[in-house]
Amino acid sequence: MNPADLTTPIFDPSWSDSLVMERVTGIADGALADAAYRIDHEGLYPLEVMSSLGESGAFAAHLDAYGARYGLALEAMRAISRRCGATGFLAWCHDVCGLYMEQSGNPALMGTVLEDHALGRSFGGTALSNPMKAMAGIEKMLLRATKVSGGYRVSGALPWVSHIGRGQYCGAIAGVLKDDGSRSHEIMFLLRFSDDVVLRPCPAFSGMEGTSTWGVRLDDYFVGEDTLIADPAQPFVARIRAAFVLLQAGMAVGVAQGCIDSMHDVEPVLGHVNQFLHDRPDELQAEYDELGARVSRLALTPYDGSDDYLLEVLDVRTQGAEFALRASQSALLHQGARGYLMNSAPQRRIREAHFIAIVTPAIKHLRWEMARLSKEAVPA
Amino acid sequence: MSTQWKKFLCRACGLIYDEERGDPDSGIEPGTRFEDIPADWVCPLCGVVKADFEPYEGSFLPSGVWAAGRVSHKAGVVIVGAGNAGWAAAEALRALDTDLPITMISACAGDRYHKPELSIALSRRAEPDKLVREKAADAARRLGIQLLVDTIVVGLSPALHQLRTTRGSFRYTALVLAQGARPALPAALPAELCWRINDLAGWSGLRQRLGTRAKQVAIVGAGMVGCELAEDFARAGHQITLLDIQTAPLAGLLPPPAAQRLQQSLETLGVRFLGAVQVASVMRADDGRKRIVTTCGQCIEVDEVVAATGLVTDPRIARIAGLAFERGIVVDPRTLCASAPDIYALGDCISLDGAPCRFIEPIARQAGVIARGILGLFVEGYCHRPPVIRLKTRALPIVINGASVPGGEWHVVDENADFLAMEQWQAGVLQARLDVGTPHRQLAA
Repeated sequence: MNPADLTTPIFDPSWSDSLVMERVTGIADGALADAAYRIDHEGLYPLEVMSSLGESGAFAAHLDAYGARYGLALEAMRAISRRCGATGFLAWCHDVCGLYMEQSGNPALMGTVLEDHALGRSFGGTALSNPMKAMAGIEKMLLRATKVSGGYRVSGALPWVSHIGRGQYCGAIAGVLKDDGSRSHEIMFLLRFSDDVVLRPCPAFSGMEGTSTWGVRLDDYFVGEDTLIADPAQPFVARIRAAFVLLQAGMAVGVAQGCIDSMHDVEPVLGHVNQFLHDRPDELQAEYDELGARVSRLALTPYDGSDDYLLEVLDVRTQGAEFALRASQSALLHQGARGYLMNSAPQRRIREAHFIAIVTPAIKHLRWEMARLSKEAVPA
Repeated sequence: MSTQWKKFLCRACGLIYDEERGDPDSGIEPGTRFEDIPADWVCPLCGVVKADFEPYEGSFLPSGVWAAGRVSHKAGVVIVGAGNAGWAAAEALRALDTDLPITMISACAGDRYHKPELSIALSRRAEPDKLVREKAADAARRLGIQLLVDTIVVGLSPALHQLRTTRGSFRYTALVLAQGARPALPAALPAELCWRINDLAGWSGLRQRLGTRAKQVAIVGAGMVGCELAEDFARAGHQITLLDIQTAPLAGLLPPPAAQRLQQSLETLGVRFLGAVQVASVMRADDGRKRIVTTCGQCIEVDEVVAATGLVTDPRIARIAGLAFERGIVVDPRTLCASAPDIYALGDCISLDGAPCRFIEPIARQAGVIARGILGLFVEGYCHRPPVIRLKTRALPIVINGASVPGGEWHVVDENADFLAMEQWQAGVLQARLDVGTPHRQLAA
């Protein structure tokens, strides 16, 4: 029997890549494409779409329990981002949260808890923007933990965390303070948004409004054994860092592909004048193909711990962001006034591409980190 | 009364609280000192707490990032590397075309200096800035090129003619790789404990550390650079131990009689040569000195360790770009083209017929061939010939002409107490000639 038969609509590890992509693309090109405007303009948080994407395997593919198919996870994220960059970002948040849970090795975060997450029955994101920058020496750690009996107490505030809400969760990191106030190490934990966590509405952003992004305030929030992802956190982060960054490339190529689509859409009617533009669709397509091939190759070894590999991942992520910016700009120029309409995809993608360029790690952080990694050690 | 208002920066979102202006929207009057703000006040933009603010005293910008002017990412010809080879390529291109856009990308400061001088600079009491013949910014201005310093190449896509760096991406019309070679550091020699004298920055760091007092220095590797440094450092008053796997210095290049004379010459200068040893580990001792342990169990404590264990070409750029690589970037021996269109390479980073050639002499000729190739001018073709090898050991100058065959047989053609001349013949053809020391009659002249 064909596993695609409607009697087995929930993803399981036996599903082939092409079956997963058939399902994901169907949802992305259908329900998601229809909702993209409302997500962008009304801040619709598309949990129903996310749920069906989960059932189709979009958020499970990269997990060891489902075959560690990073290439497939990236493909799914590309197909989603092609129709809606905000939902592509939600997919990334969801993917890395699953990655944290599984790689934690903590039984309390695996089993059915992980399965529910992987198949889109429960939702959670990631609050690693500040700690990632803090660990790279760019800014200071905002969450502070103190050791208490049976775990830690965590306090502090994070300005904006996405894909969260009551009953949801996210991966978070806090610096553990010693008695003298200095930091001894960091812990990583699954922060559950129960009633004792303050969620504060964020100011309006220029885009990505449907990503359920909140300010988070913790006041002596208790972290017990059952929610610890890693203690200490640094070796764990070092292990998953390349995979974390690489998955973001799916957003970049997806948004860029949507831009190329928009250029082709108007070619029959505007091609005679668009020929005078640079960054034409065929040029961008060549770069898209080159970039996609490198992403696919890197997706084969997401846990390669070498500096050389990480440098390549950071490079491909940077190139993806720069490419999405250029492609979105060119798509709007190709579409002209119709691309400038408030409900047009090209003007939305301009803002989505800006987001890809500034979300952690932003282009400037990526370059900072590549420069740091390239420095040779010398006697101090 | 001081009315100097202070500012405080939100570490999360970058909002600045200005005491003069206060935060009226949150009920904080203008003129409210930060310490007087209630503890439950939060950042009006992102909501983090008061404790997440820190004093703000104005922005800071790193200086000297751009050596010359603003940056255009339509880069023309891009040269990667600002060592001898990179500058030679820039000179050669500019000599043939006064208008060609040229961009040079350098991982270091890019100042022009003569690298071989580093081997003899310490005993001449040279200061780092005296070794610089032309500042990078001056050279860039003179040649009319765009120069980016402290900029690392992180990606290269030949099909797109795209070079990616830590300061953005560049579209090149032609690319010249002059990335040089880097020290090959065996695992037993940790980078954070062992100096490498492969560029001015490395030399300057060691020079500063050695200071003015006599120090004990171990030099690991008695190749050309190791021997030159040993003599130079000894002349500068330091106690030198020179270690090598071979039984004599420069044994890979010199036949035993010549190597023995070199060893004697070094020992006369006070260098202690420790042959047939391999370093097992280098560690920091409790007093900050370095402890070298050899595989045969010897233990040597010194103030500083210098690794002179040879050079390798970093394969990273070539690998990312899919360029043929064999101990160096493989180039066509006549055109110096790498294995992708519009990419050339020269200097220490290339391999010709499977072998690198890391000497100064061929570089200017290579640069000339590349410049003509890029500009579409008639190219005679590069013709590689083995450079004359001169060991800068003043006490015992050593010169090798021709291409000696490793392990080939050498014959003495002249010999006295101060001078040794040898030749290597193969199938009736003179392969190489070796002069060790100075003939008497030249001394008398």
